[in-house]
Amino acid sequence: MVKVLLIGDASREHAIADAFVRSTHEPKLYAAMSRKNPGIARLCKRTGGDVAIGNIDDPNFVVRAALEFHVDFAFVGPEEPLFHGISDALEEAGVPCVGAKRNMALVEMSKAFMRRLMWKYKIPGRLRFKAFKSLEDAVAYVNEYAESVAIKPARQAGGKGVKVIADLQVYLSKEKREVKAEHVKTVYEKHMAVYDDIDDKVLIEERVEGPEYTLQAFTDGRTVLPLPAVQDNKNAYEMDIGPETGGMGSIAGPGWLLPFLTEEEYKQSVEIIQSVVEALWKETGVRYKGVISGQMMLTALWGPTIIEFYSRFGDPEACNVLPYMEADIVEISEAIIDERLNTIKVSFPDIATVVKAIAPKGYPDHRDLARGHPVFIDEEAIKKRGCKVYYGSLDERSDGTIVTAGSRIAEIVAAAPTIPEASEIAESCVQYVRLLDGWGVFHRSDIGSEVLLRKRIEQAQLIREIYRYRLSKGLIGRAIDWIPGRGKIEYEF
Amino acid sequence: MRSSWGGRLLAGVIGIYAFDKLWKMARFTYYGLLALQNRGQETAGIVTCHEDGLSEYKGRNTVDRVFLEEKLSSMRGWLAIGCVDAEVRHEESIQPVIVNKPVKLAFCMDGKALNWREVAAKEGVSAEGDVNVIAAILSKHIDKYGPLDGAVRLLEILKGGYCFVALTEKGEMIAARSPSGVKPLVIGSFGFDYGVVASESCAIDVIGADYKADVFPGEVYLFTPYSIEKARVQSDEVTYCSFEYVYLARPDSYINDISVYEVRMRIGEVLAEEHPVEGDVVIGVPETAIPFAMAYSNKTKIPIAMGFVRTGPHVRSAIKPTQFERLVGVQLKLNPIKNAIKGKRVILIDDSVVRGNTTKNTVTLMRNKLGVKEVHVRIGSPKIVSHCPFGVEVPPEDELIARHLTDEEVAAVVGADSFHWLSLNGLVKAIGLPRSMLCLGCFTSEYPSCLKI
Repeated sequence: MVKVLLIGDASREHAIADAFVRSTHEPKLYAAMSRKNPGIARLCKRTGGDVAIGNIDDPNFVVRAALEFHVDFAFVGPEEPLFHGISDALEEAGVPCVGAKRNMALVEMSKAFMRRLMWKYKIPGRLRFKAFKSLEDAVAYVNEYAESVAIKPARQAGGKGVKVIADLQVYLSKEKREVKAEHVKTVYEKHMAVYDDIDDKVLIEERVEGPEYTLQAFTDGRTVLPLPAVQDNKNAYEMDIGPETGGMGSIAGPGWLLPFLTEEEYKQSVEIIQSVVEALWKETGVRYKGVISGQMMLTALWGPTIIEFYSRFGDPEACNVLPYMEADIVEISEAIIDERLNTIKVSFPDIATVVKAIAPKGYPDHRDLARGHPVFIDEEAIKKRGCKVYYGSLDERSDGTIVTAGSRIAEIVAAAPTIPEASEIAESCVQYVRLLDGWGVFHRSDIGSEVLLRKRIEQAQLIREIYRYRLSKGLIGRAIDWIPGRGKIEYEF
Repeated sequence: MRSSWGGRLLAGVIGIYAFDKLWKMARFTYYGLLALQNRGQETAGIVTCHEDGLSEYKGRNTVDRVFLEEKLSSMRGWLAIGCVDAEVRHEESIQPVIVNKPVKLAFCMDGKALNWREVAAKEGVSAEGDVNVIAAILSKHIDKYGPLDGAVRLLEILKGGYCFVALTEKGEMIAARSPSGVKPLVIGSFGFDYGVVASESCAIDVIGADYKADVFPGEVYLFTPYSIEKARVQSDEVTYCSFEYVYLARPDSYINDISVYEVRMRIGEVLAEEHPVEGDVVIGVPETAIPFAMAYSNKTKIPIAMGFVRTGPHVRSAIKPTQFERLVGVQLKLNPIKNAIKGKRVILIDDSVVRGNTTKNTVTLMRNKLGVKEVHVRIGSPKIVSHCPFGVEVPPEDELIARHLTDEEVAAVVGADSFHWLSLNGLVKAIGLPRSMLCLGCFTSEYPSCLKI
């Protein structure tokens, strides 16, 4: 019998756990978690497995759990353990691992590393950027040059600290410049203060706009096995208003594409990911074994463009694809470990899926308010409506009560022939996720709606026309500017 | 924008809510108000919210004259509301007004609540003027029921056509549109950084944000540091103001999710269908009637020409308080280009005629000094025959030319070869909404049921 150790404790990991439980190989599932996710814990118990609660960013803890449980391999859900070298540590201890080694996970951990890699290998979909070590240099750059930019912590910081400023009205530039400079300071003093594992501190990138989507893939470092494209929705509130979250819900399908994505664009996106996996191999001589996801955007510059990489599945995006994947995750995992992923085929039914996240009030920017509220999820009612629910940022206390841990409580997954239909079904289940102390929850009813979908299609069409025009003029990967007094400037990407 | 319209247009409101305290929103509000200047030119005001409470900055004049660069630059606060107002008000009633107790808040509104006196008496609130009273009642309601329910209750008892934006000292912003939907309100956002509500979408464009949607009649939005909540009051009858499309709103705005420009172009087409005439050139009176004239020309294939050039700053002369000031405004804005029209049969398109004297002035000038062969006047609005209970001030009924004279008589008075209005059905067709969803009171003397209290 196969024994598997799953690392992680969010909705994404619950969806991964669910995929393992459905495997025909009937693996015994174990989990290493920082908090006890009741959904994952229950699945482990059902297969005769067990859980270990501790700091999953600490490789010693995870290795100890793996050895204690005598697992055959490990599967890593979130990025932080990867950044802390969990895959390297497990392999040293003789436990094979689906999850990028530290050097590979740099593609997510260090946004500057990722950009430099794309530039070095001339991979399409790259953006101009500057990485800064010193605060003074970054502020000076912002004050002097930066117009429309994205300012990011140079290290992946739990998705926080990214600020995108379109600075197009000269009459509002002064205020925007102040915000940019202040934000650079915030990145240094707040978001990057807790990390000492990377030299660069802040990344300033050219701002691009367009519809975003995530392309998730398995890889063994040789073969990239892509999954259907998914679109997450990052604004906290309806109609794309509100602060950035980890994702309030996502849509996929029908089939492999999204309603606003062409087959050609999908293929180009896959090629970008393949090129990056190959570039990592050339750089390090190490094979990338695990999951890699491109957080992509359709831009006027390139068409498919890389905004960021994930060295893991997206959350909530994982929940759109894993429950419906027609392939065995045990077989995929073993093929990744043995570097024979080329022998695996995955297929998907021709359906659309919608995931809706439910968050406690206070998320994302006032998590202290969002924590510690008792939760009840009526799983039976959700199942009755044909949906799945994955437990998220929750903690099961020793007395059996389940409380919120500050982030998204749960994700509801629905499938139907079209996205709006799936959205309605998911919507009908939202009421079954409740807090028992009267504290409020919120979700986005508009995700997957006809109206929002139409907006995405219109936006994509607009961008598509520009990048096709640029293509026809030979301007993809190239830009020409006229700077009065200085002359013509040509950039080769 | 010039019009022969003779009343004040009430107000334009805006509210900006940043999700991050790094922002200083006073200047954004300023430019938003500049975009809404068409809705009122008498007073302008901004109130911001920051760590130490509320700051206000208001005055009597146009937006660019009220706010001084230095003071605007130093105004703190990541939350802000602002208002331009066409009503000449007492000092303490210049919008946004501030109420100190029980909940300290700033408040501004567009439109009219018709039963505010009765509601004030019932609630035991005494203050000078409708805006101050309604603000005081909102403050009481918030104290009693919380911001969302408080605003909902206010919408339930206040009858009329209005929108309001309020900002509490605690950093909550409330935006609401009356269940009748008479006055417009829209919502937009800028990335992950701020949300914005405004009377017209042009204000959202001008501050670089994206227009997202119409705020529905009866809807209340509550922005707090950790949520945007929504509630909706039952609307028995939605009656959107049709005059927004004819004259009030800017052509680059969306009102009730319908492009004002497209409606004005359709009005021009309908005018051409209803009242075709032989002519050599089409001329639109700047600026509201320009789309009417363009579409009239497109439809009839009669070329359009540039007829007038403006002297001096952009003023909406129609909302000047006296006839003398209106005429000065119109004449300064209407210096004709002689060579565009001399010796020609001119089709002159205007947006509305209230008293008739500005039109007469223009036609006389064209005939006497510029030597046009014929002048045919076409008006892109149905006859204005009645007052507006929602605050758009119409002159007394005995001054309204359309109420008393036939088209032929008007033609004779203003000195035109022919004179025609857009028909009421033509306007309804151009807007594209069912007649039952429109307030056409100023054209018909029939008012929506929200007036029956």
